[in-house]
Amino acid sequence: MTVRKLIIGIEGELMGISVKQKVMTRITSIWCVVLVLLVLGHNVNADEKYSNGAIKPPEAKSGSAALDVNDTNELWWSRWDAFVRDPNDPNELLEAKWNAIVTVLQNKELDQELKKKIMDKIMGPVFDTGLMAKLALGRTHWPKLTAPQQKRFTELFVERLKNIYLDKITLYNNEKVLFKHAMQEKNSIHIPVVLISNDKEIAILFKFHKMDETGGSKMNEYWKIYDVEIEGVSVLLVYRAQFDDILNRGGVKELFFQLEKPPTQ
Amino acid sequence: MRYYFLIMIWLVAGAGCASSARNTPNLPAASPVDVNSSGDAAFDEFETELSQRQVTIPDPIEPWNRAMFGVNDIFYFWVAKPVVQTYEKIVPRPARVCIRNFFENLTTPVRFVNCLLQGKGPEADRELRRFGINTTAGVLGFGDPAYDRWGLKPAAEDLGQTLAVYGLGDGFYVVWPLLGPSTLRDSVGTVGDSFLNPVRYVKPQEVSIGISVVDATNKGSFHIGEYESFKAASVDPYVAMRGAYIQYRKKQIRGEDQPIDPNSGKPEAIWPHGVL
Repeated sequence: MTVRKLIIGIEGELMGISVKQKVMTRITSIWCVVLVLLVLGHNVNADEKYSNGAIKPPEAKSGSAALDVNDTNELWWSRWDAFVRDPNDPNELLEAKWNAIVTVLQNKELDQELKKKIMDKIMGPVFDTGLMAKLALGRTHWPKLTAPQQKRFTELFVERLKNIYLDKITLYNNEKVLFKHAMQEKNSIHIPVVLISNDKEIAILFKFHKMDETGGSKMNEYWKIYDVEIEGVSVLLVYRAQFDDILNRGGVKELFFQLEKPPTQ
Repeated sequence: MRYYFLIMIWLVAGAGCASSARNTPNLPAASPVDVNSSGDAAFDEFETELSQRQVTIPDPIEPWNRAMFGVNDIFYFWVAKPVVQTYEKIVPRPARVCIRNFFENLTTPVRFVNCLLQGKGPEADRELRRFGINTTAGVLGFGDPAYDRWGLKPAAEDLGQTLAVYGLGDGFYVVWPLLGPSTLRDSVGTVGDSFLNPVRYVKPQEVSIGISVVDATNKGSFHIGEYESFKAASVDPYVAMRGAYIQYRKKQIRGEDQPIDPNSGKPEAIWPHGVL
């Protein structure tokens, strides 16, 4: 009976005859057509998408064999740095770090918490968190905070960023990542990265600046990220818009209240 | 469900904004508590850079917008999310990709006409090629060989951008129920574009709406959890969404499509083995 109704529905559509059918029947009939077509399309797509090898997981260049799961001391993760040929080349630094991250993510023996810990250690030093916190408030608001407040703000801001970033990176599912040529700006270097997620390209831009001092023994800490843009949206500017709004409404007290409460779910 | 593309940007923030909060002994990196980790010179420079890039939008109807943001939030968690999650479980990913490709192919007129209106010849040409290839080799648009084989990307042009290119300002920020964030100008653009979408002309109207719902559900299935991430990342989700939306549109309007290859001076090929 239902099948009959569906057929009448489709025929009615095609022949332009006004058949008074119930709305639900019509939607269902369209659905049937779509489903049939998608079953047909399924095979076509599967063949084309995966035969030419366009979407392949990126290969981790760094030898994953060297990974000792139980060795949680800081020695083994720092070996990734050995794969950076020229630490003053931010492109190379970023790629090496990324490959390290991928290797960690693809390691099935590590649990989530340990993965996050390791990734934080690999990527953490690349970010100039102090500058990021400062820039998120900007010239208008940063000087208004007292020194202890600045310290507290930086802690809270960084903690929030870190948690979110580490949560998200664990969602990585073998998306293809293409590193583009670095672009020299005035005193910074921008590295465009294209991430292909669900067969869509997403443009990410890492903005590096050169630190004045080498910062300890590790040369690769020379270049640090101060902002990230995703599809042209600067992460810092999105935060700045929020902090501006909060500070203009409720002042510093409100800012800390908002930052200290757990993120909205 | 328009804000799926905004939300998606937060998912890939995976590679972004990492930081080290603990000051481990082997880590000479700047610890977060060291507020003076960078010299003031760097702060001054990037402060100026950011201030120049900062875009704001008037929001005279903020109470309405916040209310609608709340409505959309509730709608997302109570209706859209359960529906999309169920759909995602039932329909396998390759099939969903096919449906998405099909609808994208169907809306080629929108992008093509807007490319022409903005005088973007190469982009219009690309859209035409994509349509030709995907409709034939891609079997009615269900596949996307134009991208997979030749790296031809769709040109993300719409009437809102065209009007902006013609000099029309943003107007002000509007949040529409179900459709999400927009501006006065972009709202006009969305309505205008809908006349170029073949789905609009499907009769009767209920079927047309039904198709749109399928399209939205299918698109949404690629972005489950992104809105949640976005909310978790923001301090005030409403302001964050407004800021992200206006920045995103600004970038689209500027239309910096591809980075320039420093060696050749030409736009860098996204797909190294591009043939067409």
